[in-house]
Amino acid sequence: MTRLSIDFERHRLDNGLKVVLAPDPTVPIVAANLWYGVGSRNEQEGKTGFAHLFEHMMFQGSANVPKNRHFELIEGVGGTLNATTWFDRTNYFETVPSVDLELALWLESDRMGWMLPAMTQEKLDNQREVVKNEKRQRYDNQPYGDWDERVQRLVYPESHPYHHTVIGSMEDIDGATLDDVRSFFETFYVPNNAVLTLAGDIDPRRALDAVKRYFGEIEPGADIPALPGDPDVGARIGTTVRDHVVSDVPLPRVIMAFRVPPFSSDDFAVARVTGALLGTGRAARFYRRLVRERRIAKSVVTYVYPLLTGQSMMLVWATGYPDTAPAALEAAMSEEIAALRSAEEREVHRAIALTETDLVRTLERLSERADLLSMYDLYFDEPDRLNQELDRLRAVELDQIREFVEERLGEDNRAIVTYEPEADR
Amino acid sequence: MSDLDRSRPPARGTFADFDFPAVDRTRLPTGLDLRVARLHRLPVVSLNLFMRASEAALSSANAGLAVATADTIEGGTRKRSGSALAEALEGIGARMSASAGWEGTSLSLSCLAVRLPEALAIVAEAVLQPGFPDDEVERVREQQLAAIRQRLMDPSSLATDSANERFFADHVPWARPIGGSADSVAKIDSAEMSAWAEANFRPERGGLVVAGDVDPGEVAAMVLDHFGDWTGAPANEARFEVAARTTERRIHVVHRPGSVQSEIRIGHLGTRRSDPDYYALSIANMVLGGMFTSRLNLNLRERNGFTYGVRSRFVLRTAPGPFRVSTSVGNDVTASAVYEIMNELEAMAEVGPTEAEVTAARDYAAGIFGLQLETAGQIATRVSQLVVYDLPDHHFDEYRDRVRAVDAEAAAAAARRHIRPHEAQIVLVGDAGVIASDLEALDLGPVDVVGGGA
Repeated sequence: MTRLSIDFERHRLDNGLKVVLAPDPTVPIVAANLWYGVGSRNEQEGKTGFAHLFEHMMFQGSANVPKNRHFELIEGVGGTLNATTWFDRTNYFETVPSVDLELALWLESDRMGWMLPAMTQEKLDNQREVVKNEKRQRYDNQPYGDWDERVQRLVYPESHPYHHTVIGSMEDIDGATLDDVRSFFETFYVPNNAVLTLAGDIDPRRALDAVKRYFGEIEPGADIPALPGDPDVGARIGTTVRDHVVSDVPLPRVIMAFRVPPFSSDDFAVARVTGALLGTGRAARFYRRLVRERRIAKSVVTYVYPLLTGQSMMLVWATGYPDTAPAALEAAMSEEIAALRSAEEREVHRAIALTETDLVRTLERLSERADLLSMYDLYFDEPDRLNQELDRLRAVELDQIREFVEERLGEDNRAIVTYEPEADR
Repeated sequence: MSDLDRSRPPARGTFADFDFPAVDRTRLPTGLDLRVARLHRLPVVSLNLFMRASEAALSSANAGLAVATADTIEGGTRKRSGSALAEALEGIGARMSASAGWEGTSLSLSCLAVRLPEALAIVAEAVLQPGFPDDEVERVREQQLAAIRQRLMDPSSLATDSANERFFADHVPWARPIGGSADSVAKIDSAEMSAWAEANFRPERGGLVVAGDVDPGEVAAMVLDHFGDWTGAPANEARFEVAARTTERRIHVVHRPGSVQSEIRIGHLGTRRSDPDYYALSIANMVLGGMFTSRLNLNLRERNGFTYGVRSRFVLRTAPGPFRVSTSVGNDVTASAVYEIMNELEAMAEVGPTEAEVTAARDYAAGIFGLQLETAGQIATRVSQLVVYDLPDHHFDEYRDRVRAVDAEAAAAAARRHIRPHEAQIVLVGDAGVIASDLEALDLGPVDVVGGGA
């Protein structure tokens, strides 16, 4: 058993910015990674999709950085960069040669501190169109493209912050104003709501000095406001809720979602291991039984979302063949889920062995390493959870899995979205 | 703190070029070309076995056989079932995958380095003694048929496949989708797969690449143990001259009623990996559409808001592949987007990039090369490219110097030779009822509309 440990040190600037430094001199590059504690869950009614639109605006320049310059400068040193928005957070990241660390710090600090002076209506209009095209391309013009919207509506009540998707609605995106940009920035894009991680070829003392120089003078903001809506939600949906969709999809697909314990819960590891028994690898139950042996599914997917607010979500889906009846596919999935009660130690070992390889391979990339450290620091104030993760999974026992299957994967906790191809296809 | 001048970017330090890892190369007596890169970052290893069992060696009547055969490798060996094979690999935390493409068949393995001896034995068994049991063959065939159906209904895949068909003459394998057609796939059986594998899973003109925390001598000994009797060259060779379907510029609309966007592919016959213009053309393409700050992206996305993103690409194979611009745009701006793309192609072909653009692209290419040498998998992929495209051993040692030697004149000359807007095939998947008349009005060439959905 490998005992992998990623070394890091933690600091906190006077303005509240959390800093994680993870030196690794084996390659001459550095990953800079910023997590802001804001995501789609923070969006007010009528403003869905705004956190993501705002993420786009963060690339439109800041007081000292003209539009497009951020990309030009990072690409000019051969770096890579991007950002993503999710339910609970927004992350920004670049990987650059380590000699260009200060370039990354300059760009990130300029937009954290001085983004508003560069905002214009023209930039907002432009990015609104870009985001609407992103929504069309990735969701509206895609077979099954609306699946997450349908699933979230079933799993979470209207009052819950996960009831709506990250991409949001076209109407809300259209309605976004410069005032919204300003207040969102002032509320959430403050150093006391962020973690900066630097992983790679750095000298921690000099890196910390540089971080203080670039970020130290940014004013802290007020405390982050409470989430809109009602984050409290029961451990189970209470019944099986359904959405049957007949549309121009090529193959039938059944998506099942369950409320599971939140990422912060000790029981979250049980959800992850159970998910891996079903869905990680080709010896996992779904692939072996549904794809290989029964040949009722063309492909299977399992996700255990690491969500913070109230209850998290586990998803399994199976895509059938053209003549598969969705009801038969669903029944087959249900059988495999019920059969998890008889899971054996050997399967758990297999799932964890594969998870271990996957984790080590993930950590080969400094960008991923930085991203995970930022996540664990932002969510739990404990970046070392990265080093404890495998042990958490190894500690899961068979009777916990049985209990989890009883409590969380039963018929009283299911949201099922079914896609059925139109008859004339 | 007040001494910090925020008004300009910090001065750059001196970039520390770092060397491509040393690669230990051994030709085994049997003809297998073994290349091992020793890395010490983390205790992992990545392995790629490349065999020149290529989809391009198949006639269109047999299209999809190489892909299906590769996909059935995981279906079991003569000694164990597919499930038992998966158990054996995953039980030691190893991931194996196999796939076939236009150059050949690749099998990849990743695991912790300490597990390599066990994993390598299983890989050898999977490649040298594949079982192709009937039920697994049937399954893969049904999956491939379903995947063909999915590609036809996915606007992005449909656009790319339609563009390839428009770019290349019928006899060129990559005029067709890589996975074959419903007709060619439906008749694939176990006997056919066994015969294909027996004839073409051969070491010559291929190679075995291992990158990670391993000792090259130990790896060579292990490989000899497991692959010592493996000899010969693939029997089926790809033999064809690549040719364009047409040099007449045309607009081809695949009608997909109800589309809320148009998928656009614009391009033509491109060039081969061994083209002496490789470096200059890479730089010209980066300026055109190969990076975020490319002309196409700044125009279509950042200036006009037509799209979430646009890129251009020369797909370089041992024989000439496609050159294409790809994007997805709103219905109402479809014709405008085509117009802008054509303008950018013409400007690049006629005038070429500026010195400043070439400098930026050069810096990007030289820099990002080093950033992508982080993982064992990335190194293994690079070394495999040397095998697949028959490049000299020192190719990656020279890469950055060769990139930095490209000037604006060379990039412009390469663009002029390889980008030919007057021959472009303009392919769209979208709602013809909404977009066709505006496309006619562009006056770029005849407009054909085909299909009525999938």
